[in-house]
Amino acid sequence: MLKYSIRRFFWIILVLVAVSFITFSLMHLVPGGPWDRQKELAPQVIENLNKKYGLDQPFFVQFGHYLWNLLHGDLGLSYTHQDRGVTEIILQGLPKTATLGITAFLIALLIGLPLGMAAAVKQNSIIDYISVFFSTVFASIPGFVLGIFLVLVFSVSLHLLPTGGWGSVRQVIMPAVALAALPAAYIARVTRASMLEVLRQDYIRTARAKGLPERLVLLRHTLRNALIPVITITGPELAFLITGSFVIENLFSIPGVGRLFVQGVSNRDYGLIMGTTIFYAFAVAIANYVVDILYAVVDPRIRYD
Amino acid sequence: MGALLQVRDLSTSFYTQDGVVKAVERVSYEVANGETIALVGESGCGKTVSALSIMRLIAEPPGKIVSGQVVFDGTDLLKLSKADMHKVRGARIAMIFQEPMTSLNPVLTIGRQITEALEIHRGMKQSDALDEAVRLLELVGIPQARRRAKDLPHHFSGGMRQRVMIAIAISCQPKLILADEPTTALDVTIQAQLLEMLHNLTKDLDAAIVLITHNLGIVARYASRVYVMYAGRIVEHGPALAVYHDPKHPYTEGLLRSVPRLDEPRSVRLAPIEGQPPDLIALKSGCAFYPRCSQAESQCGEESLDLVEVAPGHYTSCRSVLKGERR
Amino acid sequence: MSVIAETVRPHHTLWGDAFTRLKRNRVALAGGIIILLVALGAIIVPFVSPYKFDQQDLNVVLHSPSHGHLMGTDGLGRDVFTRLFYGARTSLMVGVFAQVICLLIGLPIGAFSAYASQRVDNLIMRFVDVVFAFPDLLLIILIRAILGGSIYMIFLAIGLVSWVNIARLVRGQILSLKQRDFATAARAMGGSSTYITLRHLLPNSLGPVIVYVTFGIPRAIFAEAALSYIGIGIKPPTPSWGTMIANGYENIFAAPYLVLIPAVAVGVLMLAFTFLGDGLRDALDPRLRR
Repeated sequence: MLKYSIRRFFWIILVLVAVSFITFSLMHLVPGGPWDRQKELAPQVIENLNKKYGLDQPFFVQFGHYLWNLLHGDLGLSYTHQDRGVTEIILQGLPKTATLGITAFLIALLIGLPLGMAAAVKQNSIIDYISVFFSTVFASIPGFVLGIFLVLVFSVSLHLLPTGGWGSVRQVIMPAVALAALPAAYIARVTRASMLEVLRQDYIRTARAKGLPERLVLLRHTLRNALIPVITITGPELAFLITGSFVIENLFSIPGVGRLFVQGVSNRDYGLIMGTTIFYAFAVAIANYVVDILYAVVDPRIRYD
Repeated sequence: MGALLQVRDLSTSFYTQDGVVKAVERVSYEVANGETIALVGESGCGKTVSALSIMRLIAEPPGKIVSGQVVFDGTDLLKLSKADMHKVRGARIAMIFQEPMTSLNPVLTIGRQITEALEIHRGMKQSDALDEAVRLLELVGIPQARRRAKDLPHHFSGGMRQRVMIAIAISCQPKLILADEPTTALDVTIQAQLLEMLHNLTKDLDAAIVLITHNLGIVARYASRVYVMYAGRIVEHGPALAVYHDPKHPYTEGLLRSVPRLDEPRSVRLAPIEGQPPDLIALKSGCAFYPRCSQAESQCGEESLDLVEVAPGHYTSCRSVLKGERR
Repeated sequence: MSVIAETVRPHHTLWGDAFTRLKRNRVALAGGIIILLVALGAIIVPFVSPYKFDQQDLNVVLHSPSHGHLMGTDGLGRDVFTRLFYGARTSLMVGVFAQVICLLIGLPIGAFSAYASQRVDNLIMRFVDVVFAFPDLLLIILIRAILGGSIYMIFLAIGLVSWVNIARLVRGQILSLKQRDFATAARAMGGSSTYITLRHLLPNSLGPVIVYVTFGIPRAIFAEAALSYIGIGIKPPTPSWGTMIANGYENIFAAPYLVLIPAVAVGVLMLAFTFLGDGLRDALDPRLRR
């Protein structure tokens, strides 16, 4: 078990270095420098700026510095916000994105798991049809389309909820629901499929032949086995939520990391873009790592790898 | 009569996209206390389905127990409530399945899979149940039982897993054990061991066994009576030795002939039964064995017979045998 | 012998069987029909519409759907109906071509990786893992920011990120099929590797690939809409559903239909492709075969 965790850990580190490298290179491939903007800058100013941001150094030296800073948690400087470093900027947006993500995750679980389980246990009933319908529809419609519908209904027509911003509970509801829809649909679908698969297995028949009440058959025998694939997909879903869906943050004007990223792209703030990209990759990597470990905990067979 | 189990005119069908599969068609058999009977036939002849029907483990769609009675110790199991049936399963009737590799839950320890039955049916506390589980594991020949009780199924070989299944089956001291091809998936040498062990254990418990198999060798050694099934129906039944030495149905004869025998020279060719088992959806009227039967007459294809006694305790449904006997 | 002949069932080919099953799946059919209708509209409407997509008429700004304008007008007096179908054109093109690029890159790499030596295969898969570590929309945005430019660059940006899934899928399929008995049988009969790959393995792998591509199209459509919504997608005045949503949102209280219509369009088209994809997946699943 320990060996497994360590191996995965080193792999993650390697991936992150590769990600940094790729992001870094990509940024340097962009045509036109970072200073190509509305106002013309005097060549002397450009030279000074380049020196300040270390852009006059050879590529690998820059990369080396960048990596070194990364290890210290310093994500570099922003090109548009002269007063704060990227790390600081991200930290300001992080609580909002994280709250949104976690709320959405919980909503997704609370809707998806029971729906999937009920559908599997009562196959071909109303619940089953609702579940399948729900999963298919909400797995296909993108979150921001759903978000727009929610705004149209609850803000424009019913005037019940605000269209955006951040700070009150009412402002979290719509974006969280919009964000949760897709993961909820996937979770419901996978849970249902997985439970159906497990219920067909021979060992469930053995459990029933032993005279166990159906409740135990479901909870003790079926669920643990059925949840394994569900956890597997939870990883990518969690990553999806962490990254907060830039689009949803934009739609609801939530000053989170996603919005920062988008603004950075529009402003060609390469420092910010790089920093947020690395941050995202890092968050995704951690989420996947946690899921891998969780997977090993739930499925004892893996530990003996 | 004092029979422990009486299956009377049991019919079970499966409703599929392609049609209705009559897996079990008016099957009757009985087992006395402590007796071992064998249910013999090819794959797909309905023997497993009949056992599952007794346990009411048939998945309701697409299957359904259409008619009949299963009288166990005086009660018709088919009429019991679900809750009452739960009390019967595992405690009074136990079942051993064919596939040891998939019949145990992969994420629960072996010990747990034994103790849960003990807790439910014998009301034991966890620690007592664990001790009993260890005792049972030792009884079925698992070495280092206490340590191995904490292991997961994938640490055990097929033969060991089947021993565990046997341990689970006898754990609550059932009166009847349905053993569905318990050794088919195992090596020949282990088969003998396991069967002998099962036989001894059940003798100690005074439990009856319905031994489901296609292996005629086992039949001769352990069963007192044999029921031969074909295409969902019983075609012959009687005392094991009688059926063996004096089969009264062309199918039984065919089965016996197709087994290689040690007392014949090796150059003798095996004599398989010509043709294929019938499609259980498209069953025609008349004897199910008719298309493959060498002794058939035209009337056999039109009308089938119910079982008739041709010798003491020995029944057949074959028209030509009956005709021959009456000669 | 007549006994055996009676028990043989009629002959089905994989594709024929799949097609029959697909036809029976009404939901998938509905999806397919919707796609066809949208595609037809995308081709025809721009030709027959009395309005140009960039034709502004400041006298009819923000008019609700009416006789003259089936879906109303936007903030600059442009006809929404016309713009919607121009946008459909964009979405469908991006959806399909992005997947084409995915296939062009992913299929050969995946197949190659399955046959290459252990080390080369490992290397390629590690690279794939790294690309996977990026959230895909993010990478698309980045690449788009670099490539800039026209609509073709959008296909490229999406394709360059999404090919990894196809590569992984193809590789996985070929690897598992390589082990299977029918491949061994072919090899035992003297087939060379290339022959086996082309004639036996690829056709068997195609099923999941087709399904994946069908699901990939709505993802690409979404990516384009998201990019345009953020502002780095299709450049105005060319209509894209994403930009229409962005512009429409500004007037959401005054003219909700402006945002509703393109949003519904995106949703419906993506749903249609998903239904079709689900149907294809069920139809092509050999395990469900009778």
